[in-house]
Amino acid sequence: MSIKDKVPVTILTGFLGSGKTTLLNRILSEEHGKRIAVIENEYGEVGIDQGLVINADEEVFEMSNGCICCTVRGDLIRVLGNLMKRRDKFDYVLVETTGLADPGPVAQTFFMDEEISSEFTLDGIVTLVDAAHIDQQLGRSDESSEQVAFADVLVLNKTDLVSDDALNTLESRLRDMNRMTRIIRAENAKVPIESVLNLSAFDLDQILKRRPTFLEPEYPFEWTGVYDLDAGKYELMLEEGPDPEMSLVALVNQGESEEELKDGAESSVRLYAEKANTLEPGNTIPYGEHINLKLDDKGNKSFILNIEKPTKIGLFTQHTAEEFNMKVIKREENKEIPFNTERFWQAEHEHDDEVGSIAIERFGDVDPEKLNTWMGRLLSEKGVDIFRTKGFISYSGNPRRIVFQGVHMLFTAQPDKEWGNEPRRNQLVFIGRNLNEKEMQEGFDKCLI
Amino acid sequence: MPDIEPFSPRGMFHEGWTAEVSDYAIACGWALKGKQFIVGDVAGGIFAFEGDNGKIIWEKENTHSGGLLAMAIHPEGEIFATSGQDGNVQICNCHEGKVIKTLDLGKGWVEHLKWSNDGLFLAIASSKKVYVFNEVGEEKWTSEDHPSTVSAITWSNKNELATACYGRVTFFDIVNNKTNQKLEWQGSLVSMELSPDGDIVACGSQDNSVHFWRRSTGMDAEMTGYPGKPSHLSFDDSGKLLATSGSERITVWSFIGNGPEGTMPGELCHHTEPISSLAFSNKGMLVASGSRDGSVVASFLKNDGNGDPVGAAFAGDLVGAISWRPDDCALAAVNAKGVVNVWKFKVRTNLFSKGFK
Repeated sequence: MSIKDKVPVTILTGFLGSGKTTLLNRILSEEHGKRIAVIENEYGEVGIDQGLVINADEEVFEMSNGCICCTVRGDLIRVLGNLMKRRDKFDYVLVETTGLADPGPVAQTFFMDEEISSEFTLDGIVTLVDAAHIDQQLGRSDESSEQVAFADVLVLNKTDLVSDDALNTLESRLRDMNRMTRIIRAENAKVPIESVLNLSAFDLDQILKRRPTFLEPEYPFEWTGVYDLDAGKYELMLEEGPDPEMSLVALVNQGESEEELKDGAESSVRLYAEKANTLEPGNTIPYGEHINLKLDDKGNKSFILNIEKPTKIGLFTQHTAEEFNMKVIKREENKEIPFNTERFWQAEHEHDDEVGSIAIERFGDVDPEKLNTWMGRLLSEKGVDIFRTKGFISYSGNPRRIVFQGVHMLFTAQPDKEWGNEPRRNQLVFIGRNLNEKEMQEGFDKCLI
Repeated sequence: MPDIEPFSPRGMFHEGWTAEVSDYAIACGWALKGKQFIVGDVAGGIFAFEGDNGKIIWEKENTHSGGLLAMAIHPEGEIFATSGQDGNVQICNCHEGKVIKTLDLGKGWVEHLKWSNDGLFLAIASSKKVYVFNEVGEEKWTSEDHPSTVSAITWSNKNELATACYGRVTFFDIVNNKTNQKLEWQGSLVSMELSPDGDIVACGSQDNSVHFWRRSTGMDAEMTGYPGKPSHLSFDDSGKLLATSGSERITVWSFIGNGPEGTMPGELCHHTEPISSLAFSNKGMLVASGSRDGSVVASFLKNDGNGDPVGAAFAGDLVGAISWRPDDCALAAVNAKGVVNVWKFKVRTNLFSKGFK
């Protein structure tokens, strides 16, 4: 049976009062021509009006080896096993879990139980978040962080009760915890049905289409501007901004193509790793060095750029140019020179929450055996802390890319479309608690051929 | 079905009769000493056929709202019980299908029903509780809550009932209301079979193993290496062989001598998709298996658990249940499309020389 013939299942999570039942009722009452079976285990909230609703017990089974990352939900196996026999009567399943539940065992059921995984496919995990209360909850309970970490879609509900500023802050905090997720804001759980059903959430292509930069490495700078400059003296002028200082690397002969920009970024990362020299306003900016512009004086501050012969200068800056209204001015003519090209980078974030996501992207092929060994060890040692894994990889000698997804220690890998003329590469995302990005990237690098 | 060409009965399987019920058939059994064959479908339809020719005798629709989950025919074959998602059990008369008694057990699904061998008691599992009623529907015993949903029940002798749930098998003396024995194992037990003498308790576990205990010695053992969870278990009538399966292979453990610990099991590989039902004949070392691929095979086994197919047929779709006629002269299979197949099974012994009369 191909994945297309399987009945898709959405897991709906969220704390009590976050609006799950409202969302369920919306989904069920909308005209979509689908027969949806709802498996719910939460009592006491507003009742569900329509559709095939079955109660489950939330019975979690630990395996005999005591491995808690391989727990499954016994009640779901029974209920789905029975639904399976009535499959001509419905075409979608929604599993609602209680506010306090860890979504892990529910998701794992679709990997661990052969009968269930042969008939159903986990389409995605939707987590409802109460915008007014999630902030306190994130600090207080592990479950709410886990529900955020597991989510393919986060519905930020009750947005009418919170200011825009607070929403922005919350959204960026949630995004730090889970880089793969899609965030939808909603009042009264009003979201388009297609945003929570048929997500094909494990389809990394779709995620990339939605958020092209999410797999990019994090750089210590946010912005690059490339300026085409003739010989002469220039001033780099900055107004007051959010920080009393800003790091910068200036490179000569910086190309403007995507590849050249990425090359420049790689060089700059290495330079950023070195200790920065502090530069006072009025000083001359050296090329190919990590410097720190002192910006704590009031008003405009200028630094000097000396150009001996015509070249393209690339400025890799810690913050975006906009934040300081940064300009390059030709001294003799007192004329602003606009940049030719700009490029924003996925900047490093400080992770306040223990839960976060990391991404690895590498061109080339991996040795399947080495990858298996590495992944096996990683998941057996860190499986409890790794909530979700998604990605695709290039196996040496295999014309098709290998798509994989996992929950805790369990994962599946299957061949997908052919690489064709596309450059062969590997993209992996891990979401979990206290993940060591450097160690994991180094581990993966050793699997490359 | 992939890789399976439809084929007519082969070997010791011979043409019998076919019929159809309304929905996915999940339960079946022989009543009135083989004169009648009863089928239950997932939507709650119950159908009674004449055992010899498949002529419909009576039928009922929607007996359990939400759907039917289990059916058990009384050993005397005059009455039977069904249960469903509605939390009800119905005890019915085989001749007309008339409901004699309805037992309302509350909200939970009633997933397991078993008559005691002497037919005096009906054990019923619903969620974490097990109930025992007599033939006329009077409650005789109720268990305390088990630690989790009861996944299997079976009678070990006339007054003793065994239950399996996550982490344990328990033996209850239901007449004196006491617990006789508790066998514990941290694992999710999904199926249970007792050897005919009641000494060996075998359970399939969610983590792809079979765990078993010998009650007399208290020794337990675990058989691992199954590709899927062993949901299907069957002992032969002498208790020498235990057939198990959760994949397309049947693994047979032999308890002869010092086995099965430290021995190689027998293996039967006749199907292309996982086994969906498994049953030893009432007498002898014949095991029948039905698969998700729609094939049904009967194999004759040797003492080491290996064996050869002696008959096969294609039932058309996932085999929901199989049942040997009490005299083993016919084998029935019901499937996911609601098709009922009954094949004559011709065994030449002194007792049954002709198969079907």
